[in-house]
Amino acid sequence: MSVALKLDDIGVFYRRRASLFNREKHWAIRHVSFEVRSGETLGVIGRNGAGKSTLLKILAGILAPDEGTVIREVATASLLTINLGFLPNLSGVDNAILSGMLMGLSKSMIREKLPQIIEFSELGDAINDPFKTYSAGMKARLGFGVAFAADPDIILIDEVLGVGDREFRLKSTRAMKEKITSDKTVVVVSHNEPLSRETCDRLVWIEDWMVVATGDVDPILADYARPRSER
Amino acid sequence: MNYLDIILYKTWADLRSEASRAYIGFLWWFIEPVLYMGAFYLLFGLGLRMGGDNFVHFLLCGLVPWKWFSSSVSSGSRSIAANTGLINQVYLPKYILPTIVVLTNLAKFLVILPVLVVVLLVGGEDISVHWFALILLILLQFFLIWSLACFTSAIVPFVPDLKYLIENGLLLLMFLSGVFFDINRLDGDIAVALSYNPVALLIQAYRDVLLANQWPSVSTLVYVGGFSIVPAALSWWLFSRLDKKFVKVI
Repeated sequence: MSVALKLDDIGVFYRRRASLFNREKHWAIRHVSFEVRSGETLGVIGRNGAGKSTLLKILAGILAPDEGTVIREVATASLLTINLGFLPNLSGVDNAILSGMLMGLSKSMIREKLPQIIEFSELGDAINDPFKTYSAGMKARLGFGVAFAADPDIILIDEVLGVGDREFRLKSTRAMKEKITSDKTVVVVSHNEPLSRETCDRLVWIEDWMVVATGDVDPILADYARPRSER
Repeated sequence: MNYLDIILYKTWADLRSEASRAYIGFLWWFIEPVLYMGAFYLLFGLGLRMGGDNFVHFLLCGLVPWKWFSSSVSSGSRSIAANTGLINQVYLPKYILPTIVVLTNLAKFLVILPVLVVVLLVGGEDISVHWFALILLILLQFFLIWSLACFTSAIVPFVPDLKYLIENGLLLLMFLSGVFFDINRLDGDIAVALSYNPVALLIQAYRDVLLANQWPSVSTLVYVGGFSIVPAALSWWLFSRLDKKFVKVI
């Protein structure tokens, strides 16, 4: 399988305030190397504060690492976000266009995809109403519709996006799984072990700002489940 | 990717969103400046009777460009810090954020400007060919505002304390820009100091054009343009270095 994106010895530090004029470096991740292969679903697991969000920002190209290099073989890698940049006073259509453009679609591309977005979101004529009048479920459906239409080369998913009513949750999970199991390249960051087991081809396990293990799902999950002292 | 499209669409969306927040929507872009000018008319034109009609016109020619300048720089400086959610979710070149703010403010200024022109004409000022110079003044002021907004927006996320300084700095600058008085009437060191203030020079130029029917002085135009290049160049340098570091601090 060809490599879609490669991290080589990545490090990111934040500066924490120690005293008024003194800030100390604090590494969020360091010496992290792994690759994302085309068409695979790669899971990133790790406990809270292990540096997963920082890693996602690196993969998405939002944050440049302080050490190491990122090699990109594909054009776009972006976070699956819902309701990105939505303005409450604008209509569903205007928000879909705005959000789609922020996600990297051209205006004409997003216009082409509008029927598909409206259909997915099941909003019908309400698509022309102001976004603030929508129920939570309607907001989530529109958000998902736009997010799925954006369709970057690598989709980055942070945790499970459980929103909306039950029926829609099933639908969005199904749509997400479709993406994940298709030959789309996906990186999922998650605590959710069953989801990782079910959907991921490989795992990267991050702990204390470093990669602990990379490879097949089952052995890593088995290790991950064990308490620290027994490892 | 075409960022110009994003800039324009987002500018339009922000304007539209702002307009639909109130019952009478974008009419407020007219009414608010009219009330604003009206307050000064009441105070100086009718109340204090300082210098009669001419002073009111003098004041308005200073206030309108000043208000454009100060609200753009003030909201522009906060534009990156205020979009934490957006820039943590998607990569956008950061310069587009102050640019959008500056453009929405330009649009509002372009609504106010005709109001000012009407007020001046009704008040007895004569229109002349010199008024075409307004186009040049507006372009220059836009460049000055844009470069300052970009520069401050790049720094504020790293030095949040600067926000407070900028607000107070703008207040001080208002008094140093000859909004309320004619900088030519000052003498001594203060006059020399103010003659380096690009905002004071711009306001002076607006008055030359609108009230005295004169062409703005070439040295003013060159100076304001040259002055604006400094923050523009610094912004370019900062953005090229920091573009993907902002998310660390906000």
